[in-house]
Amino acid sequence: MSDTRKYLRFTVPDRIEHWVQMASFTTLAITGLVQKYATSGLPQKIIELLGGVDNVRIIHHIAAIVMMLGVVYHLGSAGYKFYVRRSLPAMLPSVNDVRAAWQTLLYNLDRIKNKPQQGRYTFEEKFEYWAFVWGTLVMGITGFMMWNPIATTKILPGEYIPAAKAAHGGEALLAVLAILVWHLYNVHIKHLNKSMFTGYLTEKEMLEEHPLELADFKAGRRVRPLDPRALKKRKRVFFPIYGAIAGILLVSIYFFVNFEETAITTVLPAENVVVYAPLTPTPLPTPIPTRTPLPTVSNTWDGGLADLFANRCEACHGATTAISGLNLSTYEGAISGGEKGPVILPGDPDDSLIVIVQSAGNHPGQLSGEELALVRQWIEDGAPEK
Amino acid sequence: MLKQKLKIITLGTCLVISLTLLVTVSTKAETESPSALTQDISDEACLACHDTPGLQKTLPSGEVLYLSIDRVTYQTSIHGELGYACVQCHQDITGFPHPEMTANTLREFTMKLYTSCQKCHTDKYETTLDSTHNKALAGGNLNAAVCTDCHGAHNVGPPDVPRSRIPQTCERCHSEIYNLYEESVHGSALIGEGNPDVPTCTDCHGAHHIEGPSTGPFHLFSPQICARCHADESLMQRYGISTQVFDTYVSDFHGTTVVLFQKIAPDQETNKPVCVDCHGVHDIRFTDDPESTVIKKNLLVTCQKCHPEATTNFPSAWLSHYRPSIEHAPLVYFVNLFYRILIPTTIGGMLIFVVIDAGHRILNRREHGNE
Repeated sequence: MSDTRKYLRFTVPDRIEHWVQMASFTTLAITGLVQKYATSGLPQKIIELLGGVDNVRIIHHIAAIVMMLGVVYHLGSAGYKFYVRRSLPAMLPSVNDVRAAWQTLLYNLDRIKNKPQQGRYTFEEKFEYWAFVWGTLVMGITGFMMWNPIATTKILPGEYIPAAKAAHGGEALLAVLAILVWHLYNVHIKHLNKSMFTGYLTEKEMLEEHPLELADFKAGRRVRPLDPRALKKRKRVFFPIYGAIAGILLVSIYFFVNFEETAITTVLPAENVVVYAPLTPTPLPTPIPTRTPLPTVSNTWDGGLADLFANRCEACHGATTAISGLNLSTYEGAISGGEKGPVILPGDPDDSLIVIVQSAGNHPGQLSGEELALVRQWIEDGAPEK
Repeated sequence: MLKQKLKIITLGTCLVISLTLLVTVSTKAETESPSALTQDISDEACLACHDTPGLQKTLPSGEVLYLSIDRVTYQTSIHGELGYACVQCHQDITGFPHPEMTANTLREFTMKLYTSCQKCHTDKYETTLDSTHNKALAGGNLNAAVCTDCHGAHNVGPPDVPRSRIPQTCERCHSEIYNLYEESVHGSALIGEGNPDVPTCTDCHGAHHIEGPSTGPFHLFSPQICARCHADESLMQRYGISTQVFDTYVSDFHGTTVVLFQKIAPDQETNKPVCVDCHGVHDIRFTDDPESTVIKKNLLVTCQKCHPEATTNFPSAWLSHYRPSIEHAPLVYFVNLFYRILIPTTIGGMLIFVVIDAGHRILNRREHGNE
């Protein structure tokens, strides 16, 4: 039996609206859930694929704007159908829907013989529609709070921001699961409903899903005759009002998006401190050796000068080394001098070679000023042995 | 004229002495410890002159280069204890007179000599190559630290004995940071109390491979540095500090973003805050310190660093590292609870409808097939 009779279910604008919202919903779901589960592997892969979390957020925001614009359009199209074209508010829920749901269960459990008869919108569709309305409201409000936390906390306590985030994430999960279970089963698995692609349902499909609407079609009640003059009048009322509402909503969306500059965009230094601030005086790699106190007890060779010379000079001017013939390891050696003659002239430190050389500086085995003064004094005192 | 003459005389005498020393010393070294000393000049030969206090040379810059070595200082250093000889580092010294010293400044002198370290400590040297110090040095900044600036030259010893020696080493160049650290919860515990649990410079920055902390990668990675200790249950228990700080940070806006940045593009610069952006860097205070940047009284000012228009209520949007509970953030707790109930019931209800409908259809089809 070929069934060629078709019944218009969704007009082209309806279908476009559906696909736009479907695209924005899917985009929001993907870009949102990957943020909700950002510590897991797959979400991180997706975020990476989308070019990082900054991009993901931009995409999420754009999709949100598309969805909000879709809502503004939907208010217009629903209002137009309801007010101008006087369509019945078929999407409004009623007690009949609860009954239809219950009877569907009983029918499927073979408790009753007949399937409940449903009209243009089945209880499954109404449930999904109103779930979408609820979800969009929750997501819109909590989304605004997260998008504009400074503005929000001017009115509400700060805790509302993480609460909004929790609700946004919970609602998102609920919505996605609902689409996967409810929408996927009812529209794609139970039987593939092609009306959102083609716009039409076959008579058989209408009979199974929307028998009451089919009866209306057949009885000619589905398309209501409209008085062109009344139609024109109602249009004249509707468009300005809707235009105003839409204008307000569009401005609201603009504010939604641009309400506040939440955070600065520059990179602040973590700390304001001078990084290179060396200690003064700058420490040397090796601390300067401190002088060991001179073991001098008296101003004589035996009383200390012998030790001083042994300590400072003997490496070069010792008994075995005696560079330049100078041996400072004995009193006799010191007084007799070396190849250049005597180095110590008792009573005349200024002309003593040892003082001249040491005063010039940079002698290997340089005496300190203190030590040199001691030697000077000793020579001045006649360089006594004992 | 006299000076020149003296110079010639000095050079001459030194040549003689070094030759004689060479002969005596080389035979000595071979018999005594041939393995440690691969060179010919013993420390005694060097200390014969350099043990003399007050040996110094004025460099063209006017700075004084001290040439005296305290025998005990060197001998008690790690190198001295192990029997390394002066000329193993001072490899250009082969006798006397020494080759002419061309350094104009003290720093130039250090720059010539510190390269000795890498001959033995090649691995350590190579890890310094990517360090911020080495990069600065390569960029021409002679102030950048080289081996001897931190380890010393003749007095090399364990750099962490006592542990407070570590920050005091860094202090030589980074005194302002040290001053902040000294007052911080970490620094005061280490420097004041000798507490070994707290981090010091090298724990966060590393030592030889020290990375520039103002780079994007370091910034993004830094929370994990803090987490090394702050997620350690046994360590934090001693101080009654929560170990949830890292996890609660990651689950909030800032932390999520930073973790993602770090995973996906760790090289980027970002202004998303990490631990130190709120708690302070070197001046971190305990959370009951009135100067702490994160106590309630000061938090708004801290938030305003990045959120200049934030007002009184704004800071409590951050849950202060608490997991939502009835006591802390009850609203968030109840929203979560609401969805924890709503999601299973809604989806469960849907599944009941779907499964029963599907079951009915499958049974029906089978019956029709039988007919």
